[in-house]
Amino acid sequence: MSVIVLVEHDGGVIKKKNLEAVQYAAGIAQKTGETATAVVLGTIGAAEMENLGQYGAQKVLHVDDARLNDLHAPAYARALLAAVQKEGSKLIVTLNDINGRAVAPRVAVQLNAGVVAGALIYPDLENGFVIKKSVFSGKAFANVNITSDVKVIMLMPNTFPLNKVDGKAVVEKLAVNFEEKVFNVKVKEVNKVTGEIALADAGLVVSGGRGMKGPENWGLIEDLAKELGAATACSRPVADAHWRPHHEHVGQTGGAIRPDLYIAIGISGAIQHLAGVNGSKTIVVINNDPEAPFFKAANYGVVGNAMDILPSLTAAVKKFHQHK
Amino acid sequence: MNDIESVKAIKGGEFLIRETAADSVFIPEEWNEEQLMIAETCDNFLAQHVKPYLHRIDEQEEGLMSHLMDEAGALGLLGISVPEEYGGFGKDFKTSMLVTEKLGAGNSFSVAFSAHSGIGTLPILYYGNDAQKQKYIPKLASGEWKGAYCLTEPSSGSDANSGKARAKLSEDGKHYLITGQKMWITNAGFADVFTVFAKIDNDENLSAFIVEKDFEGLTLNSEEHKMGIKGSSTRQVFFNDCKVPVENLLSDRQNGFKIAVNILNIGRMKLGGGTVGASKEVIGLAVRYANEREQFGRAISKYGAIRYKLAQQAILTYASESAVYRASQNMEEATEMLVASGLNETQAKLKGTEQFAIEAAIIKVHSSETLDYVVDEGVQIYGGMGYSAEAPMDRAYRDSRINRIFEGTNEINRMLTVDMMLKRALKGELDLMGPAQKVAGELMSIPDFGSADEETLFSKEKKYIANFKKAILMVAGAAVQKLMTQLGKEQEVLMNLADMLIELYVSESLQLRVEKLVSMCGEDSCKEQLDIMRVYINDAAEKIAKAGKEALNYFAEGDEKRMMLMGLKRYTKTEDINSTQARRNIAAKLITEEKYCF
Amino acid sequence: MKILICISQVPDTSTKIVLKDNNTLVNSQGVTFVINPYDEWYALVRALELKESGIANEIHLVTVGKADTEPIIRKALALGGDQAVRIDADSNDPYLTAFYIAEYAKSIGYDLILCGKESIDYNNGIVGAMVAALLDIDYIGFAAGIQIENNVAVVKREIEGGEETDICNLPLVISCQKGVAEARIPNMRGIMAARTRPLNVIAPSVQSPVTAILSYELPPAKAGVKIIKPENMDELVNLLHTEAKVI
Repeated sequence: MSVIVLVEHDGGVIKKKNLEAVQYAAGIAQKTGETATAVVLGTIGAAEMENLGQYGAQKVLHVDDARLNDLHAPAYARALLAAVQKEGSKLIVTLNDINGRAVAPRVAVQLNAGVVAGALIYPDLENGFVIKKSVFSGKAFANVNITSDVKVIMLMPNTFPLNKVDGKAVVEKLAVNFEEKVFNVKVKEVNKVTGEIALADAGLVVSGGRGMKGPENWGLIEDLAKELGAATACSRPVADAHWRPHHEHVGQTGGAIRPDLYIAIGISGAIQHLAGVNGSKTIVVINNDPEAPFFKAANYGVVGNAMDILPSLTAAVKKFHQHK
Repeated sequence: MNDIESVKAIKGGEFLIRETAADSVFIPEEWNEEQLMIAETCDNFLAQHVKPYLHRIDEQEEGLMSHLMDEAGALGLLGISVPEEYGGFGKDFKTSMLVTEKLGAGNSFSVAFSAHSGIGTLPILYYGNDAQKQKYIPKLASGEWKGAYCLTEPSSGSDANSGKARAKLSEDGKHYLITGQKMWITNAGFADVFTVFAKIDNDENLSAFIVEKDFEGLTLNSEEHKMGIKGSSTRQVFFNDCKVPVENLLSDRQNGFKIAVNILNIGRMKLGGGTVGASKEVIGLAVRYANEREQFGRAISKYGAIRYKLAQQAILTYASESAVYRASQNMEEATEMLVASGLNETQAKLKGTEQFAIEAAIIKVHSSETLDYVVDEGVQIYGGMGYSAEAPMDRAYRDSRINRIFEGTNEINRMLTVDMMLKRALKGELDLMGPAQKVAGELMSIPDFGSADEETLFSKEKKYIANFKKAILMVAGAAVQKLMTQLGKEQEVLMNLADMLIELYVSESLQLRVEKLVSMCGEDSCKEQLDIMRVYINDAAEKIAKAGKEALNYFAEGDEKRMMLMGLKRYTKTEDINSTQARRNIAAKLITEEKYCF
Repeated sequence: MKILICISQVPDTSTKIVLKDNNTLVNSQGVTFVINPYDEWYALVRALELKESGIANEIHLVTVGKADTEPIIRKALALGGDQAVRIDADSNDPYLTAFYIAEYAKSIGYDLILCGKESIDYNNGIVGAMVAALLDIDYIGFAAGIQIENNVAVVKREIEGGEETDICNLPLVISCQKGVAEARIPNMRGIMAARTRPLNVIAPSVQSPVTAILSYELPPAKAGVKIIKPENMDELVNLLHTEAKVI
């Protein structure tokens, strides 16, 4: 038997978080004495798929159908079900991201499978099939036992570092017949934000709050983000005041993010904001109020005026990159 | 004096001579789902529309306050207790009090709201004829028009009937021409309708007029610069032969002073609700700050000195709140009974309100002084940040102060408390003499040391409160006897008596509330409330003792004085309690919940 | 057109999580419960707008919860829902919740089912898609804008690194987030009307959960912040590289 993992790609390129999913599926397979089989959909080169072996996949089932280049959750689910059937699988892994949240529930329903959305650990097999996930927007964790025979795990992206090993996956074609209705949702228009790093998956994020005083000062944030290769974000009051677009709002009612580095500038750290960012590995807080609650959640803190600190931090990053 | 009145025919001022049953009072723990939803709407309104913009509101950004009033009107918050036939929602007085309390946390907005929905709307609602009500009330209830109230003049504040504004009939008999100057007019800057008080010709008493902002001859001065409530529009309004159609005379000629007084009675009680709401908000800020701020490696909320302050803020607020809603319920019931006896609703409301004018004055004083304590210690808990204009305590501190001044200064209200009580006794409406004589008799007899009564959860506090009443009857009775008609001029004695009455009324309201609460939820879930009650009443005993002593030392002499001082001691004696531990318990709950939670 | 809004009761965003019973339960004492913000601010309000513009005629609400969830249902009715159903069950298993909702939805037949992008208690964000799967209809997640014309939904939704616009025939399940609508406050008229709007309680059918929460944990306390002087930004960069290993 094998663990099935859905591996998406962006125009033929498999991203880091999808490699992480493969590695995670392979890790579980190792524990349960199975193998990991990746399911890849749409138009993509063979080499890219074979490389999944470097993250532990032994086999790739490729559904080579150009209609799958866009998300069609029912079609994706159908393809995964075909793979499950072929491999006799009892465990399916996807990511807990936008597409994963559309596809995994559909697979789970069709297999009567229990789902954990946002897995943070490898399953604990000694006490059942227990997986830790974040609840209450990061204010707590729950240990969830999946009691059904077939199980679906949605891995939280950016949870495990990648470890490349030697290996090459065997790529097999998987033919799937799709009913027309799985393509009911038609894409009319796509607007990708170009030149910016997408916030949801960014490893580094620079974020500004009310302490930035006004939208006219955001250049300082953007300069630092550019130097770091980071995405930009903001707190709720900033989005509400229309200083920044709403999609940049992180927090309990905005987006929740889990970057490696979160730099918060002029954000006091209300509980709702912390809920959206407390999955970050490292937090740097820059604030002129030494009492700002955010400092308690931070790894590194700088007390002082953001308008002075930001240019010198940007300069320091520049220097670091030049000497590296 | 011991006949517990269960038929709910409680009269205003009667608390001094009668025992009240706990199950007859209304307590805020009894709000129903609909009322809680209305409260949540108020909270949401402040959170979304007011609190993020306090700074801009205080700068009096053009049109902002008026816009906020429109928003509140769109939600229906300006017509809570306006009858449905006039575009309101016909809710009872308690519900409108709840709204006032919730919106009381909105700094300057609260003032604009209270002025509009209270003194701006009620004179027309209560005293207007049908045509006047049809014309003005729906627009005021929806917020389309904003209301203001012009009583105070540069030379007539507390002495309202002495105003110089005059009205005379025009030659064609179609208009009154009002001339005069009104000062400290809240909402003046954006109000559409003013209730204006002026004497017609050389009348002895004021008359009231409904004046629209566009009536010829009305002009506004520029905004006053104030210590606090900076966002509230406060201006002088000038009337220069201002042409008011005769049909805009409100109620009868010379009825204005009565209108003014009655509207103020409601305003005072409402001020109680508003300041309780503000106190709760400030306590929330203070406890959150105390949990966040660390000194010597620990949150300052872990230190006893801070815990004391937090507990004391909550004790006073909870006590004040108990009195506010007890009196609100009493007023409502008195009104219902008057309606049942055949009076029309408006008349009943006015009479019902008048009936509880003593309680209204007490509440006004106690709640405004509570808020001043709460903001003062709020600043202190914030320490250096408390003094910074960047932190919210600065605004809270400045905004609180006006509450002891407007709606009748606390001094005027203290004097009124005693004055109304004695007048009712003189008129035979309240039998103070009988009970006072009984106390005098008791003084001569051997004190009753042992109590045969069974010890219950509230028996001690009930005994203390019964004794507080005796203390007041004794001191007040002696004061009347000794000072006779001079008493009205001995303001220090009046202040002493008022302080005693205030502490009695609040203590009793608090005790009844906790007793009812325990009967609803059980003793175990009311531990902190019991602590609040015990600490408050113990402190009240000392305040009553002190005020009584001051008064007696002034007017009494010789053996009689000695005897009364001994009596006072006996009537204000309480068993020692561990108030430090009790305050720690209260503070611990606040600190865990990080908000006002009682 | 009939719209069903799935609402869920969650602790208010300012709630501090306290555990009890050997970390097997979250203490609800002193917790203020609210309608899940995504359900209320976006899904419900957008439905109200569709009704106000004459596109929808009826807005129904459904929640899976015990009697203690009725205040939030009343609030949703006060905001403008026409009627509500409470499925009398306690579930934190997304599949079970979806099963109950789908079963009810099937019995009525809805053109559009809206829910929030996730609930802020369990953060699963999969119930809506499960309901769609159980009803065998389409699903669009993370919507930031919804237009309905002639039984066709035009949905702007979040994708990785941008936005796309999808078109789909009804019936459809959509999960909503910021952008779909703006939060509203219940007004007096709505609050008074809420009492008169039907809130029916139905018993859940027999179905077993497929997951169970065994225990909860609170995040470990941060080790403490290292304060760096504003003039030492080189040091900060160095620490991020050598100690935190994030750059």
